[in-house]
Amino acid sequence: MSSDLSSALCSAASAGLIELRTWIAAKARDLPPEGLTDDLPLLAGRHLTSLHLPELILLLERLRREAIDVDGLQAGDFQDIRTIAARFLPVAAPSGNGATQ
Amino acid sequence: MNPGSATTSAPAPPSLREAIAAMSDTVERLSELSRAKYANPYTAVDWPEAVDPEASWLFAPELSTLYGTPYWDGLDDAGRHRLAFAEASNFFSLNIHGEKSLMEGLAARLYRPDLIEIADYLHHFLDEENKHSVYFGGFCQRYAKIYRSRHVAFGARPDRRVDDLLFFAKVLIFEEHADRYNVLQSKDDRLHPLARFINGAHHADESRHLVFNRAIVQAFWDAYSPGWDDAKLTEIRAYLGQFFATTWHEYYNPDVYADAGLANSWQVAEDAWNAREQRAHRRRISTKCLRFFTASGILPEGPADVF
Repeated sequence: MSSDLSSALCSAASAGLIELRTWIAAKARDLPPEGLTDDLPLLAGRHLTSLHLPELILLLERLRREAIDVDGLQAGDFQDIRTIAARFLPVAAPSGNGATQ
Repeated sequence: MNPGSATTSAPAPPSLREAIAAMSDTVERLSELSRAKYANPYTAVDWPEAVDPEASWLFAPELSTLYGTPYWDGLDDAGRHRLAFAEASNFFSLNIHGEKSLMEGLAARLYRPDLIEIADYLHHFLDEENKHSVYFGGFCQRYAKIYRSRHVAFGARPDRRVDDLLFFAKVLIFEEHADRYNVLQSKDDRLHPLARFINGAHHADESRHLVFNRAIVQAFWDAYSPGWDDAKLTEIRAYLGQFFATTWHEYYNPDVYADAGLANSWQVAEDAWNAREQRAHRRRISTKCLRFFTASGILPEGPADVF
């Protein structure tokens, strides 16, 4: 892979991760004082509900430009931002703590 | 409060039994109407051998999710017809998915002791929803396809009272929206007779369901909400606000745009969702529904990120 292409992919992946964090920050309820982090438990902490997932799946499909097989999904796939990114946006998975606020 | 005090106080909220008893006349009338209008979905419609997506409108163009956007302007007449055909299939598909969940919820509440007074009507409701799915499935399987749902459900809500309210409130929102489409399309002479029939048949039953939905949601709200604290009420309102977003997003299906030949269909869906004309369209369709929720006090206002 050329360095230009690699750089472009990294840039797109980073933009995707930012959009994912922004979407969740806008939708999540009752965030802790430290704000939204990449390892905050989203469903277990009741910050998001199952009702958010169709919209989140649409966002993820748009970011990765590929359909998601909904029948194969489990609650653990949406545990936190790090898991979501690793599961659905592999090249965008965050490596740090990823505090967004 | 001092029991001997002469000061006035708010009347005690009704029990669920009292709230449901208050709607018993309505439920009885609806049941009589359902019996009088009992239909056989296997004989009520003559399915044509084929429908030509480019020759007939199967969905009103003004109800297309791309109407009023540059994408619509960029389509030729055949392209608009193909899009409308795919939108019709999506509309019928989302009704199939919605009615599956609805039938599950109705069946789970059938003959529940505290809801025994409405058991007769729940039978009609279930029967009629099943018949609607025969129509929708009949169309999609004969001429098109059933579009996938992106709904996933994890876990159950532990509080049955909240679950009851939210279940029927979601049914109300879903059916009020679909019914607006049904009413408009059943009277639209431009549409293929089959599309007009399916929309009209759905509306004929839904008009009763809408009356029931409003009455049962009001009954649950009147009986339960006085006992809920601010945190619970905020949670319920946020959930219903999100349901408006979720149910409306189903209309903007990237799979439809891909089938209509549009490139980058996910971006098309995002652009259409954000288009000013489409926001106005959603508000128009949701108006009656929102009026019920705000007038009853269930929602203080409509969800801002939808309209």
